[in-house]
Amino acid sequence: MAEAGVKENVKIKEDWIKLKRKLVADPGFDETVKNLTTEKIEKAVNAVLNIGKNAGRFMAPLETCIHCALCSDACHWYLSHGKDPTYAPVAKVKMTLWELIKRKGKVSPEFMKQVARIVFCECNLCRRCSMYCPFGLDIAYQLGMVRRICFILGLVPQNILDQTHSLSATLTQLWITQADWIDTMQWQEEEVRGEIKNVRIPIDKEGAEVMWCPLGTEPKVATYHIARTAKIMNIAGIDWTVAAQDGWDSANMGMFIRDMETMQRVVRGIYDNAMRLKIKRIVLTE
Amino acid sequence: MYDFVKDPSIYNFVRGPLVWIAFIVFVGGSIYKIRELLLLAKKEKVVYPYMSLKFTLRSLLHWFIPFASANWRRRPVITIVTFLFHIGLVLLPIFLLAHNILIYESWRVSWWTVPEGLADIMTMIVIGCCFFFFLRRIFAPEVRFVTFADDYLILAIAFLPFISGFLAYHQWLLPHKIMVILHMVFGSLMLIAIPFTRLGHMLYFFLTRSYMGSDQGYRHSKDW
Repeated sequence: MAEAGVKENVKIKEDWIKLKRKLVADPGFDETVKNLTTEKIEKAVNAVLNIGKNAGRFMAPLETCIHCALCSDACHWYLSHGKDPTYAPVAKVKMTLWELIKRKGKVSPEFMKQVARIVFCECNLCRRCSMYCPFGLDIAYQLGMVRRICFILGLVPQNILDQTHSLSATLTQLWITQADWIDTMQWQEEEVRGEIKNVRIPIDKEGAEVMWCPLGTEPKVATYHIARTAKIMNIAGIDWTVAAQDGWDSANMGMFIRDMETMQRVVRGIYDNAMRLKIKRIVLTE
Repeated sequence: MYDFVKDPSIYNFVRGPLVWIAFIVFVGGSIYKIRELLLLAKKEKVVYPYMSLKFTLRSLLHWFIPFASANWRRRPVITIVTFLFHIGLVLLPIFLLAHNILIYESWRVSWWTVPEGLADIMTMIVIGCCFFFFLRRIFAPEVRFVTFADDYLILAIAFLPFISGFLAYHQWLLPHKIMVILHMVFGSLMLIAIPFTRLGHMLYFFLTRSYMGSDQGYRHSKDW
């Protein structure tokens, strides 16, 4: 199943998954799976499925999906891989959720790694499939539930999990301290003032019309975005500000990995700042 | 065997009590299933606040018109087959003359019926569409990968009333009485199966469509 160069000495019983894939090593999967057992997996799966049983959005697709596969054409993974049927949205649900339900969570760690790879690396939850489904079934929601199972087990790509840890600790994506953030604002303001006179990046201006929230990457590695935003806001004459307090970062990695707790805290941080500064509109970079 | 089936009690059973059973189970089961899904949606707490009647209706209208949505336009053949199949599936049982006569005999009500020739053609179209779906399950790779035994089963459950009705009307293959008995049995079977299998997509379609339509409307976007 794996291509040359990747160790594959664990037999997976599910050989109906004849996937043609080039596997890439990721410690988030490879290392984590060493600590997993079937008992842990079963517990995590059943915990999430029990919640799912009480959720209409979860049950409705399971009982309504007629397996028509009309969602395939929506999925850019499916289309760009030469219409490989194993990339279709319904196929992804089959290989992950239906199997977990059928086996009541009693699956091997290797299988769970396969599941994590499918939901994190072969789907980006863009929801086109949900929009193309004639029934309006939320297929992306179901794959999101599987992501939650993987998150609870720690089976998440290393990079995203790192960034979620950062958000959990600092409400910023890349471990940016408040001092660094304010410093960067002031530095970019200076830079832009070299080009356009009297440009200001107001920090913590109470009562402004707009509060702008960048992604955490911007002050860290892409400061020119901040400069450009400052230029646009000033030329357009918008009464804007940025928040000095943590909760200025709109990147929500918690949402992507279905870490609901961190996801809520990031959103709340932004709204808290908006309420504190009595803002009328929140504008996000993305 | 024929003598056994020609016994009037078999026909009387399928003509009377079985119809009652089928409709009671169908209506009761449908109400139960719809209520169950509505309650589950309520439990989720983030579903009802965003539901909107206006966008529900917009979405239903959008998807009930062939070639209105992007996915319908992408798959013209499947769109035509799906619509013809479902139109026949829903309208024929209600507006067929033979069914109307039986209802008149029982309840003294009758309504407009489809001309017999047209009904014949519609039945043949439904049967043809069933074959199309069957072949699609076998030959389309993306469908084959997610097809299981119960997919073929529900297709058969929908197909059998139409083929048996068609054969009964033309009095082909089996003696008429037997064919009619089989037709009534298959029809009742389909009604009973609707709430308890994925044939229940007939009921859930309106609810799930409402959800996605409201979702699109809430975000000020078009229904795809």
